[in-house]
Amino acid sequence: MTPTKAASLGSLLTQVAGERQTGALVVGGHPGGAVYVFEGRIIYAESPAAPGVGAMLTSSGRLAGRTWQNALDLGSSTARVGRLLVEQGHLTQGEMELCILTATYDAAYFVLCSPSAPVKFMPGAMHWLGPVVHIDAAAVDREVHRRVRLLDEILPNPRIDSAAVIPVTRAPRERVVLTAFQWELLVHADGQRTPADLALLLGRAGFATIQELRRLAAQGLIEVPEVRVTDGPGFVRLPQPRGVSVPLGRPVVEIPPALPVPVINGAEPATARNPPPNSEPPAAAGDNNAGVYRPPRLARRKPGAKLPKEMATDNPPVHQGTDEVLLKRIRTALRALR
Amino acid sequence: MPGVDHCLQEAMTIPGAVGASIVDYTTGFPVATTGAAPNSDHEAAAAGTAEVVQAANSRSLFVSAIPHDLLEDLIITTAGGYHLLRIVQTEFDSRLVLYVWLDRVRGNLAVARRQMQRLADELVAT
Repeated sequence: MTPTKAASLGSLLTQVAGERQTGALVVGGHPGGAVYVFEGRIIYAESPAAPGVGAMLTSSGRLAGRTWQNALDLGSSTARVGRLLVEQGHLTQGEMELCILTATYDAAYFVLCSPSAPVKFMPGAMHWLGPVVHIDAAAVDREVHRRVRLLDEILPNPRIDSAAVIPVTRAPRERVVLTAFQWELLVHADGQRTPADLALLLGRAGFATIQELRRLAAQGLIEVPEVRVTDGPGFVRLPQPRGVSVPLGRPVVEIPPALPVPVINGAEPATARNPPPNSEPPAAAGDNNAGVYRPPRLARRKPGAKLPKEMATDNPPVHQGTDEVLLKRIRTALRALR
Repeated sequence: MPGVDHCLQEAMTIPGAVGASIVDYTTGFPVATTGAAPNSDHEAAAAGTAEVVQAANSRSLFVSAIPHDLLEDLIITTAGGYHLLRIVQTEFDSRLVLYVWLDRVRGNLAVARRQMQRLADELVAT
């Protein structure tokens, strides 16, 4: 959709709320997300940049992953996961409500803060959590704008919210005072993780995370990201899958299959992966560790059966050393006891 | 099972209660409100509440003297009323505080504090 249409994200939400509709506002772009509306009131919002209810409850250890998964399996199709968890006694009603409220406002910030994102409304769509809380759309909208202002009051630099967090190598002052959360962030910032990564990793609210990061940047404890022209309109970089060293957004260098290089590059791995059959026996025979003594393998015997002759001769007879004198002394002693 | 609204209703039954709310003190946002607020503005009250809690939590050494020490409540008294703030300890990451505004004449600080402790515990008790 065009930016003009997208500018109506807020008004579309107001319209949906005013008409008491049920469905999901799906917002594209970065980070994007969705706001779920039930009969005109917001029941949940989710964004890849903010940990959802499940991540909050399981990463803090409040719920076992298994418990959460069970509730998902049981309640997803009927959209009553939230109610199930309370009915089964895993959470109190208060906890469920507070967790959903926190997560919803948190995600709503990321979904609604970028006014130029494309948006569409899917009527009838329902979130699997089900309606647990009901929030006024206007209140959410107002709060999102207030949060944008809050961040700008700390340090007006939205690039901090999306760039990889890099702690400075040397603190700018002799003495540094950190809150527990700031300490957690600095300890886990490895120069690769984005704020969204850190929020998910630590099970912290996405907004609280970027709020602390802006404070850290204002204190000069993390590097302020440089302006990068190639970044484009992306507001928050999405969490990267672990173990991938190359950011997903970066174009992958493709090697055309017809290049002359693969003759060298491609041939070696192929032989390593599929060794020709005649190369296998020497490896299995253990020729290269000839120095180590390995007893020959014995054939399977019945329990109690004697060892094969060639093996048995190695072992001296068990009773050879029995002392006749000792036995006689024991017999004498036993007789004396009678 | 007491939910958020039930908790606030209960808070309003505390003798002398004029208004109550649950505030997210990282953002200064009132998650739920009931009754009156100072200057009839719950959002401004919440923002102020958040600043007070953050000041006590991070800018002072009260709670960091002993490891695992926690801020429990903050009590502000004015000529006209009592303002009680009780931290709601949840296991998942949230920074919430239960705020109750009491009338100075009808309110009893000790009773109110005990009741708020019970309410905050019941809200998240397993």
